Amino acid sequence: MKKAILVLAALILVIAGATAAPKAKVKIALIVESTVDDKGWAQAMHDAIVAVQAKYGKTLVEYNYSEKMKPVDAGSAARQYASQGYDIVICHGAQFKNLVLEMADEFPKTSFAFGTSADIGPKNVFTYMPMSEETGYINGIIAGMVTKANVIGLVGPVDGGDAARYDRGFVLGVKASNPKAEVKVAHTGSFSDFVKAAELAQTQVKAGADVLTGSSQQALGALRAVAEYKDQQIWWLGQDIAQLAIPEGYKAIAAASYDYSAVIEALINKRQAGVLGGESIPMSFTNGGFVYKFNDKVGPVLTKAVRAAAEKAKADITSGKLSIAWKDVKF
Amino acid sequence: MSILDIIMNILAIGVPFSVALLLAALGEMFNQRAGVFNLGCEGIMSMGAFLAFLPPFFLKTGALAPWANLLGFAGAAAAGAVLGLLFALVTVSFRAPQGIAGIGLQMLGWGAAGTLFRHYVGGVTGIGGVPPLPIPFLSQIPFFGPVLFNHNIVAYLAFLAVPASWYVLFKTPWGLKVRAAGTHPRAADTMGIKVTRVRYQALALGGAMAGLAGAYLSLCQAKMFADDIVAGRGSIAVALVYFGRWHPAWILSGALLFSLAQALQLSIQVLGIKFPYEFAVMLPYALVIAVLAFSRRSRLRGPAELGKPYDRETRI
Repeated sequence: MKKAILVLAALILVIAGATAAPKAKVKIALIVESTVDDKGWAQAMHDAIVAVQAKYGKTLVEYNYSEKMKPVDAGSAARQYASQGYDIVICHGAQFKNLVLEMADEFPKTSFAFGTSADIGPKNVFTYMPMSEETGYINGIIAGMVTKANVIGLVGPVDGGDAARYDRGFVLGVKASNPKAEVKVAHTGSFSDFVKAAELAQTQVKAGADVLTGSSQQALGALRAVAEYKDQQIWWLGQDIAQLAIPEGYKAIAAASYDYSAVIEALINKRQAGVLGGESIPMSFTNGGFVYKFNDKVGPVLTKAVRAAAEKAKADITSGKLSIAWKDVKF
Repeated sequence: MSILDIIMNILAIGVPFSVALLLAALGEMFNQRAGVFNLGCEGIMSMGAFLAFLPPFFLKTGALAPWANLLGFAGAAAAGAVLGLLFALVTVSFRAPQGIAGIGLQMLGWGAAGTLFRHYVGGVTGIGGVPPLPIPFLSQIPFFGPVLFNHNIVAYLAFLAVPASWYVLFKTPWGLKVRAAGTHPRAADTMGIKVTRVRYQALALGGAMAGLAGAYLSLCQAKMFADDIVAGRGSIAVALVYFGRWHPAWILSGALLFSLAQALQLSIQVLGIKFPYEFAVMLPYALVIAVLAFSRRSRLRGPAELGKPYDRETRI
C-alpha cells in the first residue's frame, strides 16, 4: 500500500512537473529541412511549439524558426540563434546530429536537441525518439482487419529511425489481427519524393494491395495515388492526422500523429531545473507523445469491431500490458 | 500473379513514369543541339510544376474550370520559354559560363516556385489533375492495352513528340540551323544563319518543354505540388540527352530504360524478393551511369561546339 502511494505521489509530481509553467522566459528556436506547413514531419514539431507557446503565453515562451535548412546551411542559423541567447535550439532531424554536436561544444550554455534519435549526447544535447512502433501496431491491427485481398502495401521512406520502428510495428499489428495477410514492404529511399511515393503506391495496388500505409512527408504522394482509385475499396492508414482533413482523406480510415508538446515541455522543465542535456526523451502513448484519430467520414469500412480492436490495442500499449518487439521483425 | 502479369505491370507503370523525363530531355536536346547545355532544367521544371498547379487549384468552379488543366499546361510552357530566354540572355548574349548559369537558374526556379507556392497556396494539397484517357478498343487488347493505350492524353502527345522532334531537327530548315549553330556556328554565320537568334529560339523551345515536363509531374503524375516535386528528374533529363546521343529516338529509349528500371526496382521490393532496397533504389541511376560510361564514343556524335559561347568578333 505504502509503495502504491509512493508511486502515485511520484506520478503526480511528474505530471505536475510536466505541465508546470516556465519559471522564467524561455527562447526556443526550431530548424527544419522542409517547411513548417508540410503536413508531416516539420509541421508536427512546429505545431507543438506553437501550442506550448499558446499555453504559457508569448511573454514566457519566445519562438522563432528557420525553414529549408539543409545540414550544410543549418550551421549558420543554429550559430545565430545560440549567439542571440536562445535557450533551446531544436534541429529537427537526425541529419543534423553532427552539426548539433559541433554547436554544443561551441555554445555550452545553450541546450540543443535533435531527433529522432535515442543517443545520449553531451551535457547540453537532448535527443527525442518517438516509439512509432506503437502507432504502427494500431494501424496494422486495422489494416489486417480491413483487407479483403490479404495483401497490404507499406510505402516506406528509408529503413531507419522512427520510420523503421513504425514499419515493424505495423507488420506486427497486421500479423496480430490477420496472420494470413501479407505485408509488402518497400521503400522509396527518400523522405520527400512525393512522385516516387505515388509510383510505389501504384505498384503496390497493381500487385494486389487493398490497404496501404506510409510515413514521413512523402506519404502524402502515396495517399494521393490511393485517392485515384475512387470506385475501388482501397484504403489508407496514415501517420499524420493532417491527412484526414485534406480532400484525399476520404480514403484514410485513421491516422496517428506525433504530439511533440510533451517533448517541448520536458525540454523547458529540464532546462529550468538545471539539466541542459545529456538525456533522450521518449515519445509514446503513455506520455502523450502520440495522438490517434479515426476518420468518422470514411464510411462503413470503419466498423465497430475495427474501432474496438484498435482502441483495445491502444489501451494495452498505454497501460504497458502490450509491448511491441519491433526489433525482432526482419525485412 | 503470373510472370506475364508482373511484366505487364512493370511496363504499364514504367511507361507513364517516363513522360516527364522524355519531355524535359527532348527540350534539352534542342538546347544542346544549338550548342548550349542548360543545367537549369530542374529549376524550369519546378516552376512549370508550380504554375501548372495554380489554375486547377484556383479554378475549381466557374466557366474556366473545365479549361484549368489546359491553362496550367499553357502557363507552364510559357513560363518555361521565358526562363529559357532568360538563360539565353545570360549565356548567349552575355556569354556567361553555361554550367554556372544553369546551376543559378536551377536554384532560381526551385526557390521561386517554393516561395510563391507558400505565398499563394500555403501547405501541400491535391488537385483533380488530368484523368486517364483509355483509347477505346485498343486499351482492351490483352497485355498491350494496359501498357500502351491506358494513359492520359499528355502521355500520348509526349510519345508523338518523339517523331515530331526528329522531323523538326532533321527535316526542316530550322532544324538544320539549330544543328549548324551547335556544330559549327562560325560556318553557319558565314552562311547567313543568325546563330544568336537560333540559340535563343532553341532555348525558348527547350524551356517550354521543360516547363511542360514539370506540369506533367504536378497535373498528371502526383496531382499536387510540393517544393521537391521534381526531385532530381531535371538532372536525369540532362543525362539522358548524353545517353541518347542527341537523337530523339535514343532519348526515348533512355527515358524508357530509366523508368522501366525504376518500375522494376519498385516491383522487386513489392514482390518481396530478397534484395537490399538501398541497391534497388540505386538501380536506375547506376544503370544510366553504366550506359554512359560504356558509350564514350557518343561524344563524337555530340554538337562540336556544345558549351562554347559564340562571338563572331573573336578570331578562332
